[in-house]
Amino acid sequence: MTYSIIARCPRTGRFGVGSTTFSIACGRRNESVRAGVGVSKSQAFYLRYVDPLALNMLAQGYTPQHVMRTLQADDPDFDYRQFGIIDRENNVVAHTGPGCGKWAGHTVGPYYAAYGNGLAGPQTVAGIVSGFLKHPDAPLEDRLLEALEGGRDAGGQASKGVPRPERSAWIRVVGQLDHPEVDVRVDLHDKSVAELRRVLEEFKRYRDYYKARCTRPGEAIPEEEFAAQLDAKAA
Amino acid sequence: MTYSIVARCPRTGQLGIAVASYSMAIGWYCDGAVRANTGVTLTQGFPNPRNNYLAINLLAQGHTAGQALADLIGNDPDGAYRQIAIVDRDNNAVAHSGAHLRKWAGHRIGKTFVSFGDGLAGQQVVDAMEAAFEAASPAGLDEQLLAALEAGRDAGGMAGAKGWLPERSAAVIVWGSRTHNEVDLRVDLHDRAINELRRIYVDYKPSIAYYEERARNPRHAIPAMEFADMLKNQRQKATA
Repeated sequence: MTYSIIARCPRTGRFGVGSTTFSIACGRRNESVRAGVGVSKSQAFYLRYVDPLALNMLAQGYTPQHVMRTLQADDPDFDYRQFGIIDRENNVVAHTGPGCGKWAGHTVGPYYAAYGNGLAGPQTVAGIVSGFLKHPDAPLEDRLLEALEGGRDAGGQASKGVPRPERSAWIRVVGQLDHPEVDVRVDLHDKSVAELRRVLEEFKRYRDYYKARCTRPGEAIPEEEFAAQLDAKAA
Repeated sequence: MTYSIVARCPRTGQLGIAVASYSMAIGWYCDGAVRANTGVTLTQGFPNPRNNYLAINLLAQGHTAGQALADLIGNDPDGAYRQIAIVDRDNNAVAHSGAHLRKWAGHRIGKTFVSFGDGLAGQQVVDAMEAAFEAASPAGLDEQLLAALEAGRDAGGMAGAKGWLPERSAAVIVWGSRTHNEVDLRVDLHDRAINELRRIYVDYKPSIAYYEERARNPRHAIPAMEFADMLKNQRQKATA
C-alpha cells in the first residue's frame, strides 16, 4: 500500500516525486529521481534495482515506453509491479499489474503520473490529481505535497475496508544540479503527511539561509542566531 | 554544528554514514555521498553541495581518498569553511577540518572510518564516537554507526555561544554491493532526533528481509499489514 505522484514541472523542467505509505521510510527510495534524466518510482511488490536501471536506460536515450517493455520482458512477476516513469520530454508511462491488489491503479497526465495500491478506491488517485492541479503556478514541491494531501483527504489507503495510516512520507525535487533542491522526509509518524507539511514549511523558512551558508560561508551568521531571528519575526 | 561518522566495514565492504545536526534535514546533505564498491564521503560545516558527487566521481575514476580530498580543497575557494571526510574501498580514510569552522571542530581518523564534527562541545565528542564505533564492531555496520552517534550525543554533542544545542535532525545510511542503499533512515525535524532515529531503526530493521522477499516472491508474500501486526505482537511478547 502506497500512493505516489511523479512529475516534471512544465515551467522549470524540475523533476519531483511525492510518496506516502504505511511502510517505514518510503523516502529511502531516493534512487528514484535523477537530475537531468527523469523519475522512475516503482512500488507494490517492487524490486529495488528497477528504478536505477530505468534511469540508466533513460540516460542512455531510451524512451519510458521502451523501458517499460524491457522491464516487462525481464520479469516473470511483472503482474505484481506498479511504477511510473517520466523523462525530460514529458513522456510518461505507468503500469499497475493485476497482482497489485485492491484497489490499485494509476492516472497518467501530460507531465505527471499519479498511482497507488492498497487504496480506499479510485477516489484516492483522483484526489492526488486534483490536489496536484489545484495551484498549477506553485513551485513543484508545493504541488507534490498538495497532491499527497489530496490523496489522503480522498480516503488514502485501506486494507479489507479498514483505513490504514500513512506512516511515512517524502518529497524530493531536483533541478539542474546533482544535489536535490528539496528533499524532506518523515520516516515513521502516525500522520506523516501532516508532519511532512510541517517539515516542508519549516524547511522553506531556512532554505535561503542554508543556500547562502554554502555559497558565501564567510558571511553566514550562526544558525541558532538565525533561528532566534525567525522566531522573533513569527512572534 | 554537525557530527558524523563515515565508515567502511572491512569485513563486508559495506559503506555507511551516521550524522546528526542542529540544522534540519541533515540527511539531505548526504545525497550522493555513497557509491557501492567505490567509497563514502561527506562534506559538512559550511557544506559545499557539489563535493559529495565530485568526491565519489574521483574515487570511481580510480583516485585515492587522499588525492580526492586534495582535489576538493583545490576546487573550492571556501575550503577553509568545509569539513570533509572520505573513505575509499581500500580503507584509506582521510579528513580535512578547515580553519574557519565553528569551534570546537575536528576529526579522528580511524582504521576504516572518520569521526568528525564542528560546533561541538569539545574533542570528547569525536573521541567518544570513535570508541563506540570500535566497541560495537561485532554488531555490524548499521549498529556501529548508530552507537557512534549516540556516544557523540552522550559526550555533549553540539554547543554554540550560549551553550548546548539540540540534535534536530539525524540520518543513518548503509550501502552494500547493490545500486541502492540497504538502510537509509532519517529524522528531519525533531527535538531529540537521535532518539527518534533509534526508534525508527528498531522498527525498520526486521522489515528489510521481508521487503526483499516479497519483491522476489510476490505470489507468496504475506500482506504488509499482517507483517506489521506480526512484528508488533512479537515485540509485545518480548517485553511482556
